[in-house]
Amino acid sequence: MQRISIPPRNNWQSAVEKLGFGFHTTDIPYWDESAYYKFMLSEINRIESATQELWDMCLGAVQYVMDNNLYHRFAIPDGAIPYIEKTWQEDHPAIYGRFDFCYKNGHLKLLEFNADTPTSLYEAGIVQWFWLQDFDKSKDQFNSVHEKLIDGWKTLASYLRPGKLHFSCLKQTLEDLTNTEYLRDCAMQAGLDTKLVFIDDLGWDNSTRTFMDLENESIRNIFKLYPWEWLLRDDFGKNIPEDANQAFWIEPAWKMILSNKALLPILWEMYPNHPNLLPAWFDSHGMNRFVKKPILSREGANIEMVDNGQLLQSSDGGYGQEGYVFQELFELPAYDGKYPVIGSWVIAQQAAGMGIREADSLITDNKSRFVPHMIDG
Amino acid sequence: MSPFNKKLKKSAHIQLVLITAILASCHKPTPHHQRRVFMRGDTTAPYNGVRNYYGDDNGYYSSNNGYHHHSHLWYYAFRPYGHYYNGSYTRAGYYSGGLSAHANTGRNGFKGSITRGGFGSHGFSVSS
Repeated sequence: MQRISIPPRNNWQSAVEKLGFGFHTTDIPYWDESAYYKFMLSEINRIESATQELWDMCLGAVQYVMDNNLYHRFAIPDGAIPYIEKTWQEDHPAIYGRFDFCYKNGHLKLLEFNADTPTSLYEAGIVQWFWLQDFDKSKDQFNSVHEKLIDGWKTLASYLRPGKLHFSCLKQTLEDLTNTEYLRDCAMQAGLDTKLVFIDDLGWDNSTRTFMDLENESIRNIFKLYPWEWLLRDDFGKNIPEDANQAFWIEPAWKMILSNKALLPILWEMYPNHPNLLPAWFDSHGMNRFVKKPILSREGANIEMVDNGQLLQSSDGGYGQEGYVFQELFELPAYDGKYPVIGSWVIAQQAAGMGIREADSLITDNKSRFVPHMIDG
Repeated sequence: MSPFNKKLKKSAHIQLVLITAILASCHKPTPHHQRRVFMRGDTTAPYNGVRNYYGDDNGYYSSNNGYHHHSHLWYYAFRPYGHYYNGSYTRAGYYSGGLSAHANTGRNGFKGSITRGGFGSHGFSVSS
Protein backbone atom coordinates (compact mmCIF):
# COMPACT_ATOMS: atom_id res chain seq x y z
CA MET A 1 0.00 0.00 0.00
CA GLN A 2 1.52 3.29 -1.13
CA ARG A 3 0.27 6.85 -1.34
CA ILE A 4 1.08 8.48 -4.68
CA SER A 5 0.70 12.24 -5.12
CA ILE A 6 -0.59 13.31 -8.52
CA PRO A 7 -2.02 16.45 -10.08
CA PRO A 8 -5.83 16.36 -10.08
CA ARG A 9 -7.59 16.43 -13.43
CA ASN A 10 -7.94 20.02 -14.62
CA ASN A 11 -11.68 19.67 -14.84
CA TRP A 12 -12.21 17.32 -11.94
CA GLN A 13 -15.09 19.25 -10.40
CA SER A 14 -16.93 19.23 -13.69
CA ALA A 15 -16.05 15.59 -14.30
CA VAL A 16 -17.53 14.39 -11.03
CA GLU A 17 -20.53 16.69 -11.28
CA LYS A 18 -21.36 15.09 -14.61
CA LEU A 19 -21.83 11.89 -12.65
CA GLY A 20 -24.35 13.57 -10.37
CA PHE A 21 -21.82 13.75 -7.54
CA GLY A 22 -22.82 17.03 -5.97
CA PHE A 23 -21.16 16.85 -2.57
CA HIS A 24 -17.53 16.67 -3.69
CA THR A 25 -16.81 19.85 -1.76
CA THR A 26 -18.51 21.45 1.22
CA ASP A 27 -16.58 24.08 3.14
CA ILE A 28 -13.59 21.78 2.61
CA PRO A 29 -12.80 19.30 -0.19
CA TYR A 30 -14.29 15.86 0.28
CA TRP A 31 -13.40 14.17 -3.00
CA ASP A 32 -9.59 14.35 -3.23
CA GLU A 33 -7.77 13.17 -6.34
CA SER A 34 -4.50 14.95 -5.57
CA ALA A 35 -3.31 11.48 -4.57
CA TYR A 36 -4.26 7.86 -4.93
CA TYR A 37 -3.42 4.71 -3.02
CA LYS A 38 -1.61 1.99 -4.91
CA PHE A 39 -2.04 -1.64 -3.88
CA MET A 40 -0.44 -4.91 -4.84
CA LEU A 41 -2.90 -7.54 -5.99
CA SER A 42 -1.81 -9.72 -3.08
CA GLU A 43 -2.84 -6.96 -0.67
CA ILE A 44 -6.24 -6.64 -2.32
CA ASN A 45 -6.75 -10.39 -2.22
CA ARG A 46 -6.10 -10.24 1.48
CA ILE A 47 -8.63 -7.45 2.05
CA GLU A 48 -11.16 -9.31 -0.05
CA SER A 49 -10.79 -12.62 1.77
CA ALA A 50 -10.82 -10.92 5.19
CA THR A 51 -14.03 -9.13 4.25
CA GLN A 52 -15.65 -12.37 3.22
CA GLU A 53 -14.53 -14.18 6.34
CA LEU A 54 -15.59 -11.37 8.68
CA TRP A 55 -19.02 -11.29 7.09
CA ASP A 56 -19.46 -15.00 7.86
CA MET A 57 -18.22 -14.38 11.40
CA CYS A 58 -20.70 -11.53 11.82
CA LEU A 59 -23.61 -13.74 10.84
CA GLY A 60 -22.42 -16.16 13.49
CA ALA A 61 -22.30 -13.30 15.98
CA VAL A 62 -25.95 -12.44 15.36
CA GLN A 63 -26.97 -15.97 16.27
CA TYR A 64 -24.61 -15.93 19.26
CA VAL A 65 -26.13 -12.73 20.65
CA MET A 66 -29.62 -14.15 20.26
CA ASP A 67 -28.76 -17.55 21.74
CA ASN A 68 -27.12 -15.96 24.77
CA ASN A 69 -29.59 -13.09 25.15
CA LEU A 70 -26.88 -10.43 25.09
CA TYR A 71 -29.11 -7.58 23.93
CA HIS A 72 -28.45 -5.53 27.06
CA ARG A 73 -24.84 -5.21 25.91
CA PHE A 74 -26.13 -3.44 22.83
CA ALA A 75 -28.58 -1.18 24.69
CA ILE A 76 -31.33 -2.66 22.58
CA PRO A 77 -34.69 -2.12 24.30
CA ASP A 78 -36.54 -5.25 25.38
CA GLY A 79 -39.54 -4.29 23.30
CA ALA A 80 -37.52 -4.49 20.10
CA ILE A 81 -36.15 -7.98 20.67
CA PRO A 82 -39.09 -10.05 19.34
CA TYR A 83 -39.13 -8.04 16.11
CA ILE A 84 -35.36 -8.31 15.66
CA GLU A 85 -35.51 -12.08 16.14
CA LYS A 86 -38.46 -12.36 13.80
CA THR A 87 -36.54 -10.61 11.02
CA TRP A 88 -33.62 -12.98 11.56
CA GLN A 89 -35.70 -16.14 11.68
CA GLU A 90 -37.68 -15.09 8.62
CA ASP A 91 -34.46 -14.22 6.81
CA HIS A 92 -35.39 -10.64 5.99
CA PRO A 93 -32.97 -9.62 3.27
CA ALA A 94 -29.94 -7.33 3.62
CA ILE A 95 -28.12 -5.68 0.75
CA TYR A 96 -24.87 -4.18 2.01
CA GLY A 97 -22.40 -3.19 4.73
CA ARG A 98 -18.92 -1.68 5.03
CA PHE A 99 -16.05 -2.94 7.17
CA ASP A 100 -13.56 -0.28 8.21
CA PHE A 101 -10.01 -1.57 8.34
CA CYS A 102 -6.63 -0.35 9.45
CA TYR A 103 -3.90 -1.75 7.21
CA LYS A 104 -0.43 -1.27 8.65
CA ASN A 105 2.85 -3.17 8.69
CA GLY A 106 1.26 -6.16 7.04
CA HIS A 107 -1.58 -6.32 9.56
CA LEU A 108 -5.20 -5.85 8.56
CA LYS A 109 -7.41 -5.06 11.55
CA LEU A 110 -11.14 -4.45 11.81
CA LEU A 111 -11.94 -1.10 13.41
CA GLU A 112 -15.73 -1.27 13.07
CA PHE A 113 -18.55 -2.51 10.88
CA ASN A 114 -20.99 -0.03 9.35
CA ALA A 115 -23.75 -2.53 8.79
CA ASP A 116 -26.96 -0.52 8.86
CA THR A 117 -26.47 2.84 7.14
CA PRO A 118 -23.06 2.88 5.45
CA THR A 119 -22.41 5.76 3.07
CA SER A 120 -19.66 6.59 0.53
CA LEU A 121 -21.12 3.88 -1.70
CA TYR A 122 -21.45 6.17 -4.72
CA GLU A 123 -17.90 7.42 -4.36
CA ALA A 124 -16.57 3.87 -4.06
CA GLY A 125 -18.67 2.28 -6.79
CA ILE A 126 -18.94 5.06 -9.35
CA VAL A 127 -16.80 8.15 -8.86
CA GLN A 128 -13.49 6.43 -8.32
CA TRP A 129 -14.21 3.97 -11.18
CA PHE A 130 -14.65 6.86 -13.62
CA TRP A 131 -11.58 8.54 -12.17
CA LEU A 132 -9.61 5.42 -13.12
CA GLN A 133 -11.09 5.49 -16.64
CA ASP A 134 -9.58 8.94 -17.04
CA PHE A 135 -6.36 8.35 -15.16
CA ASP A 136 -5.33 4.94 -16.49
CA LYS A 137 -8.06 2.64 -17.66
CA SER A 138 -5.60 -0.19 -18.22
CA LYS A 139 -5.15 -0.51 -14.46
CA ASP A 140 -7.33 -2.46 -12.07
CA GLN A 141 -9.31 -1.44 -9.02
CA PHE A 142 -10.98 -3.42 -6.24
CA ASN A 143 -14.44 -2.40 -7.31
CA SER A 144 -17.28 -4.59 -8.47
CA VAL A 145 -19.75 -2.63 -6.35
CA HIS A 146 -21.98 -1.78 -9.26
CA GLU A 147 -22.59 -5.23 -10.74
CA LYS A 148 -22.80 -6.82 -7.31
CA LEU A 149 -25.50 -4.33 -6.35
CA ILE A 150 -27.48 -5.14 -9.49
CA ASP A 151 -27.01 -8.88 -8.99
CA GLY A 152 -27.82 -8.46 -5.31
CA TRP A 153 -31.13 -6.75 -6.01
CA LYS A 154 -31.98 -9.47 -8.52
CA THR A 155 -31.42 -12.07 -5.84
CA LEU A 156 -33.35 -10.11 -3.23
CA ALA A 157 -36.30 -9.70 -5.57
CA SER A 158 -37.47 -13.22 -4.83
CA TYR A 159 -37.50 -12.46 -1.09
CA LEU A 160 -39.56 -9.28 -1.30
CA ARG A 161 -43.28 -8.84 -0.77
CA PRO A 162 -45.29 -8.40 -3.97
CA GLY A 163 -45.35 -4.73 -4.95
CA LYS A 164 -42.98 -1.82 -5.11
CA LEU A 165 -39.68 -1.40 -3.36
CA HIS A 166 -39.69 2.08 -1.84
CA PHE A 167 -36.42 3.90 -1.21
CA SER A 168 -36.18 6.36 1.63
CA CYS A 169 -33.76 8.74 3.30
CA LEU A 170 -33.83 12.08 5.05
CA LYS A 171 -35.05 14.95 2.91
CA GLN A 172 -32.40 17.49 3.75
CA THR A 173 -29.19 15.71 2.96
CA LEU A 174 -27.72 15.51 -0.53
CA GLU A 175 -25.20 12.87 0.47
CA ASP A 176 -27.89 10.52 1.71
CA LEU A 177 -30.12 11.18 -1.29
CA THR A 178 -27.29 10.49 -3.73
CA ASN A 179 -26.42 7.20 -2.04
CA THR A 180 -30.10 6.22 -1.92
CA GLU A 181 -30.75 7.13 -5.53
CA TYR A 182 -27.69 5.17 -6.57
CA LEU A 183 -29.04 2.10 -4.81
CA ARG A 184 -32.38 2.68 -6.50
CA ASP A 185 -30.65 3.03 -9.85
CA CYS A 186 -29.14 -0.44 -9.39
CA ALA A 187 -32.48 -1.86 -8.25
CA MET A 188 -34.14 -0.47 -11.36
CA GLN A 189 -31.48 -2.11 -13.49
CA ALA A 190 -32.25 -5.33 -11.66
CA GLY A 191 -35.83 -5.04 -12.87
CA LEU A 192 -37.45 -3.93 -9.61
CA ASP A 193 -40.35 -1.49 -9.49
CA THR A 194 -39.10 1.34 -7.28
CA LYS A 195 -40.30 4.60 -5.80
CA LEU A 196 -38.65 7.31 -3.73
CA VAL A 197 -40.30 8.60 -0.58
CA PHE A 198 -38.47 10.66 2.01
CA ILE A 199 -38.47 9.16 5.47
CA ASP A 200 -39.83 12.47 6.78
CA ASP A 201 -42.89 12.01 4.57
CA LEU A 202 -43.86 8.48 5.52
CA GLY A 203 -47.34 8.14 6.92
CA TRP A 204 -49.12 5.64 9.07
CA ASP A 205 -52.73 4.74 8.26
CA ASN A 206 -54.45 3.80 11.48
CA SER A 207 -57.40 2.21 9.73
CA THR A 208 -55.40 -0.20 7.59
CA ARG A 209 -52.46 -0.42 10.02
CA THR A 210 -49.96 0.14 7.23
CA PHE A 211 -47.26 2.62 6.31
CA MET A 212 -48.15 4.86 3.39
CA ASP A 213 -46.23 7.02 0.97
CA LEU A 214 -47.43 10.48 0.02
CA GLU A 215 -49.64 9.13 -2.73
CA ASN A 216 -51.32 6.89 -0.16
CA GLU A 217 -49.78 3.81 -1.66
CA SER A 218 -49.18 1.29 1.04
CA ILE A 219 -45.61 0.20 1.61
CA ARG A 220 -44.57 -3.44 1.45
CA ASN A 221 -40.82 -3.20 0.97
CA ILE A 222 -38.68 -0.26 1.90
CA PHE A 223 -34.98 0.45 1.78
CA LYS A 224 -34.19 3.08 4.39
CA LEU A 225 -30.96 5.01 4.76
CA TYR A 226 -31.89 5.80 8.32
CA PRO A 227 -30.60 4.03 11.44
CA TRP A 228 -32.68 1.49 13.28
CA GLU A 229 -32.01 3.11 16.63
CA TRP A 230 -33.56 6.31 15.27
CA LEU A 231 -36.51 4.45 13.74
CA LEU A 232 -37.30 2.88 17.08
CA ARG A 233 -37.05 6.19 18.93
CA ASP A 234 -39.27 8.02 16.45
CA ASP A 235 -43.01 8.32 16.99
CA PHE A 236 -43.88 5.87 14.24
CA GLY A 237 -41.39 3.22 15.32
CA LYS A 238 -43.84 1.44 17.58
CA ASN A 239 -45.97 0.72 14.51
CA ILE A 240 -43.36 -1.36 12.72
CA PRO A 241 -44.18 -4.67 14.45
CA GLU A 242 -47.91 -3.87 14.12
CA ASP A 243 -47.72 -3.27 10.38
CA ALA A 244 -50.45 -5.30 8.65
CA ASN A 245 -48.23 -5.61 5.56
CA GLN A 246 -45.31 -6.85 7.64
CA ALA A 247 -43.21 -4.78 5.27
CA PHE A 248 -39.61 -5.70 4.69
CA TRP A 249 -37.32 -2.96 5.93
CA ILE A 250 -33.90 -3.00 4.31
CA GLU A 251 -31.51 -3.13 6.01
CA PRO A 252 -33.45 -5.47 8.31
CA ALA A 253 -33.73 -5.03 12.07
CA TRP A 254 -31.26 -7.83 12.81
CA LYS A 255 -28.59 -5.49 11.47
CA MET A 256 -28.98 -3.59 14.77
CA ILE A 257 -26.67 -6.19 16.25
CA LEU A 258 -23.99 -5.75 13.62
CA SER A 259 -24.05 -1.95 13.38
CA ASN A 260 -23.47 -1.57 17.10
CA LYS A 261 -19.87 -1.39 18.36
CA ALA A 262 -20.76 -3.88 21.06
CA LEU A 263 -20.19 -6.30 18.22
CA LEU A 264 -16.43 -5.81 18.62
CA PRO A 265 -16.05 -7.43 22.07
CA ILE A 266 -18.55 -10.10 21.05
CA LEU A 267 -16.44 -11.01 18.03
CA TRP A 268 -13.31 -11.07 20.18
CA GLU A 269 -15.04 -13.34 22.65
CA MET A 270 -16.15 -15.68 19.87
CA TYR A 271 -12.95 -15.59 17.85
CA PRO A 272 -10.08 -14.73 20.24
CA ASN A 273 -6.78 -13.88 18.57
CA HIS A 274 -8.28 -13.84 15.11
CA PRO A 275 -5.69 -12.07 12.92
CA ASN A 276 -8.17 -9.49 11.61
CA LEU A 277 -9.58 -8.57 15.01
CA LEU A 278 -8.25 -6.35 17.76
CA PRO A 279 -8.76 -7.26 21.41
CA ALA A 280 -11.96 -5.58 22.55
CA TRP A 281 -13.92 -5.57 25.80
CA PHE A 282 -16.72 -3.81 27.59
CA ASP A 283 -14.17 -2.31 29.99
CA SER A 284 -10.53 -1.32 29.63
CA HIS A 285 -9.57 -4.82 30.83
CA GLY A 286 -6.11 -3.82 31.94
CA MET A 287 -5.10 -2.59 28.51
CA ASN A 288 -2.52 0.21 28.53
CA ARG A 289 -3.31 1.35 25.04
CA PHE A 290 -6.91 1.44 23.97
CA VAL A 291 -9.61 3.35 22.13
CA LYS A 292 -12.83 4.04 23.99
CA LYS A 293 -15.78 4.13 21.57
CA PRO A 294 -19.49 4.72 22.19
CA ILE A 295 -21.47 1.68 21.11
CA LEU A 296 -23.66 3.99 19.02
CA SER A 297 -21.91 6.86 17.30
CA ARG A 298 -21.14 8.23 13.87
CA GLU A 299 -18.32 9.95 12.04
CA GLY A 300 -15.70 9.47 14.73
CA ALA A 301 -17.63 11.29 17.45
CA ASN A 302 -16.86 10.87 21.16
CA ILE A 303 -13.71 8.80 20.65
CA GLU A 304 -10.93 8.72 23.25
CA MET A 305 -7.49 7.28 22.48
CA VAL A 306 -5.50 6.40 25.57
CA ASP A 307 -1.83 5.49 25.64
CA ASN A 308 -0.37 4.46 28.97
CA GLY A 309 -2.85 6.50 30.94
CA GLN A 310 -2.42 9.57 28.77
CA LEU A 311 -5.15 10.88 26.50
CA LEU A 312 -3.56 10.72 23.08
CA GLN A 313 -6.46 12.15 21.10
CA SER A 314 -10.20 12.66 21.55
CA SER A 315 -13.23 13.97 19.70
CA ASP A 316 -16.40 15.74 20.73
CA GLY A 317 -19.98 14.75 20.07
CA GLY A 318 -23.28 13.89 21.59
CA TYR A 319 -22.99 10.12 21.84
CA GLY A 320 -22.13 7.80 24.69
CA GLN A 321 -25.26 7.52 26.79
CA GLU A 322 -25.79 3.90 25.66
CA GLY A 323 -22.35 2.78 26.83
CA TYR A 324 -18.85 2.19 25.48
CA VAL A 325 -16.50 -0.48 24.26
CA PHE A 326 -12.74 -0.55 24.60
CA GLN A 327 -10.60 -1.69 21.71
CA GLU A 328 -6.83 -2.13 21.72
CA LEU A 329 -5.17 0.91 20.16
CA PHE A 330 -3.82 0.17 16.70
CA GLU A 331 -2.96 3.51 15.16
CA LEU A 332 -3.65 4.18 11.51
CA PRO A 333 -0.55 4.35 9.31
CA ALA A 334 0.68 7.83 8.37
CA TYR A 335 1.38 8.74 4.73
CA ASP A 336 2.67 12.29 4.40
CA GLY A 337 0.72 13.17 7.51
CA LYS A 338 -2.48 11.58 6.18
CA TYR A 339 -4.21 8.68 7.89
CA PRO A 340 -6.17 6.30 5.63
CA VAL A 341 -8.99 3.97 6.64
CA ILE A 342 -10.01 1.25 4.21
CA GLY A 343 -13.76 0.81 3.83
CA SER A 344 -14.37 -2.65 2.38
CA TRP A 345 -17.84 -3.38 1.04
CA VAL A 346 -19.82 -6.56 1.41
CA ILE A 347 -22.77 -6.57 -0.98
CA ALA A 348 -25.35 -9.35 -1.07
CA GLN A 349 -23.05 -11.61 0.95
CA GLN A 350 -19.95 -10.99 -1.16
CA ALA A 351 -16.86 -8.85 -0.79
CA ALA A 352 -17.35 -6.25 -3.49
CA GLY A 353 -14.81 -3.43 -3.44
CA MET A 354 -13.38 -0.67 -1.32
CA GLY A 355 -13.05 3.03 -0.76
CA ILE A 356 -10.46 4.93 1.23
CA ARG A 357 -11.19 7.78 3.62
CA GLU A 358 -8.20 9.88 4.59
CA ALA A 359 -7.98 12.09 7.69
CA ASP A 360 -5.43 14.54 9.05
CA SER A 361 -5.52 12.85 12.42
CA LEU A 362 -5.80 9.38 13.90
CA ILE A 363 -9.56 9.80 14.25
CA THR A 364 -11.47 9.51 10.98
CA ASP A 365 -14.29 12.03 11.16
CA ASN A 366 -16.73 13.92 8.97
CA LYS A 367 -13.91 16.05 7.56
CA SER A 368 -12.13 13.03 6.14
CA ARG A 369 -11.61 12.94 2.40
CA PHE A 370 -12.34 10.20 -0.10
CA VAL A 371 -9.19 9.26 -2.05
CA PRO A 372 -9.29 6.84 -5.02
CA HIS A 373 -7.17 3.74 -5.35
CA MET A 374 -5.78 1.40 -7.98
CA ILE A 375 -4.19 -2.03 -8.15
CA ASP A 376 -0.78 -1.98 -9.76
CA GLY A 377 1.55 -4.84 -9.14
CA MET B 1 -16.35 -10.40 -21.36
CA SER B 2 -12.83 -11.10 -22.51
CA PRO B 3 -10.59 -13.56 -20.64
CA PHE B 4 -8.54 -10.54 -19.63
CA ASN B 5 -11.50 -8.88 -17.98
CA LYS B 6 -12.31 -12.01 -16.03
CA LYS B 7 -9.11 -11.49 -14.11
CA LEU B 8 -9.91 -7.91 -13.24
CA LYS B 9 -11.43 -6.91 -9.95
CA LYS B 10 -13.03 -3.79 -11.30
CA SER B 11 -16.29 -3.44 -13.15
CA ALA B 12 -15.97 -4.00 -16.88
CA HIS B 13 -18.75 -1.61 -17.67
CA ILE B 14 -20.88 0.78 -15.68
CA GLN B 15 -24.15 2.24 -16.76
CA LEU B 16 -26.45 4.43 -14.72
CA VAL B 17 -30.12 4.49 -15.63
CA LEU B 18 -31.78 6.72 -13.09
CA ILE B 19 -28.96 9.14 -12.45
CA THR B 20 -28.06 9.46 -16.13
CA ALA B 21 -31.71 10.15 -16.84
CA ILE B 22 -31.72 12.96 -14.29
CA LEU B 23 -28.64 14.45 -15.88
CA ALA B 24 -29.88 13.93 -19.43
CA SER B 25 -33.17 15.60 -18.64
CA CYS B 26 -31.35 18.84 -17.99
CA HIS B 27 -30.64 19.67 -21.57
CA LYS B 28 -33.83 18.27 -23.09
CA PRO B 29 -32.16 16.15 -25.76
CA THR B 30 -33.66 15.47 -29.13
CA PRO B 31 -35.52 12.20 -28.83
CA HIS B 32 -34.16 9.17 -30.58
CA HIS B 33 -33.89 5.56 -29.49
CA GLN B 34 -34.07 5.34 -25.75
CA ARG B 35 -35.69 3.45 -23.00
CA ARG B 36 -38.01 5.80 -21.17
CA VAL B 37 -37.59 6.40 -17.48
CA PHE B 38 -40.39 8.01 -15.56
CA MET B 39 -39.28 10.08 -12.65
CA ARG B 40 -39.81 13.18 -10.63
CA GLY B 41 -37.64 15.55 -8.66
CA ASP B 42 -39.86 15.61 -5.64
CA THR B 43 -41.44 12.50 -4.31
CA THR B 44 -44.80 14.19 -3.89
CA ALA B 45 -44.95 15.43 -7.45
CA PRO B 46 -46.39 13.67 -10.51
CA TYR B 47 -44.09 11.55 -12.62
CA ASN B 48 -42.50 13.07 -15.67
CA GLY B 49 -41.19 11.04 -18.58
CA VAL B 50 -37.56 11.73 -19.35
CA ARG B 51 -35.30 10.10 -21.83
CA ASN B 52 -32.36 8.05 -20.90
CA TYR B 53 -29.58 7.29 -23.30
CA TYR B 54 -29.72 3.63 -22.64
CA GLY B 55 -27.51 1.94 -25.19
CA ASP B 56 -26.75 5.19 -26.99
CA ASP B 57 -23.10 6.09 -27.06
CA ASN B 58 -23.76 9.81 -26.93
CA GLY B 59 -24.79 9.85 -23.38
CA TYR B 60 -23.28 7.24 -21.18
CA TYR B 61 -19.96 6.12 -19.97
CA SER B 62 -18.26 2.83 -20.59
CA SER B 63 -14.85 1.35 -20.38
CA ASN B 64 -15.07 0.40 -24.01
CA ASN B 65 -16.27 3.65 -25.44
CA GLY B 66 -14.57 6.03 -23.09
CA TYR B 67 -15.97 9.10 -21.50
CA HIS B 68 -18.81 10.69 -23.42
CA HIS B 69 -20.33 13.85 -22.14
CA HIS B 70 -23.40 15.87 -22.82
CA SER B 71 -23.02 19.29 -24.29
CA HIS B 72 -25.03 21.16 -21.69
CA LEU B 73 -24.57 19.28 -18.48
CA TRP B 74 -25.28 21.11 -15.32
CA TYR B 75 -23.64 21.04 -11.99
CA TYR B 76 -25.77 18.96 -9.74
CA ALA B 77 -28.25 16.18 -10.16
CA PHE B 78 -30.32 17.58 -7.32
CA ARG B 79 -31.01 21.19 -6.42
CA PRO B 80 -31.87 22.46 -2.97
CA TYR B 81 -35.05 24.25 -2.08
CA GLY B 82 -36.05 25.96 1.13
CA HIS B 83 -37.41 29.11 2.68
CA TYR B 84 -36.44 32.19 4.66
CA TYR B 85 -37.79 32.72 8.12
CA ASN B 86 -36.74 35.52 10.47
CA GLY B 87 -33.90 36.36 8.14
CA SER B 88 -32.36 32.92 8.07
CA TYR B 89 -32.57 30.36 5.32
CA THR B 90 -33.68 26.81 6.00
CA ARG B 91 -33.11 24.16 3.40
CA ALA B 92 -36.14 21.93 3.09
CA GLY B 93 -34.86 19.35 0.65
CA TYR B 94 -33.67 18.66 -2.86
CA TYR B 95 -35.34 18.30 -6.21
CA SER B 96 -34.11 17.88 -9.72
CA GLY B 97 -33.48 21.15 -11.49
CA GLY B 98 -33.57 19.38 -14.81
CA LEU B 99 -37.13 18.16 -14.66
CA SER B 100 -40.18 20.14 -15.59
CA ALA B 101 -41.97 22.22 -12.99
CA HIS B 102 -44.80 19.71 -13.28
CA ALA B 103 -42.58 17.00 -11.87
CA ASN B 104 -41.01 19.24 -9.27
CA THR B 105 -44.07 20.74 -7.68
CA GLY B 106 -45.05 18.47 -4.88
CA ARG B 107 -46.97 18.79 -1.70
CA ASN B 108 -44.29 18.22 0.86
CA GLY B 109 -42.88 20.40 3.57
CA PHE B 110 -42.59 24.03 2.67
CA LYS B 111 -44.23 23.61 -0.70
CA GLY B 112 -47.59 22.50 0.52
CA SER B 113 -49.88 21.99 3.41
CA ILE B 114 -49.55 18.34 4.35
CA THR B 115 -47.20 17.51 7.15
CA ARG B 116 -46.26 14.04 8.19
CA GLY B 117 -43.27 13.34 10.28
CA GLY B 118 -43.43 10.35 12.55
CA PHE B 119 -39.99 9.55 11.23
CA GLY B 120 -37.03 11.75 10.56
CA SER B 121 -36.79 13.82 13.67
CA HIS B 122 -33.34 12.51 14.60
CA GLY B 123 -30.34 13.94 12.90
CA PHE B 124 -29.48 15.62 9.67
CA SER B 125 -27.46 12.96 7.90
CA VAL B 126 -26.80 9.35 8.66
CA SER B 127 -23.33 9.51 7.16
CA SER B 128 -21.12 6.80 8.58
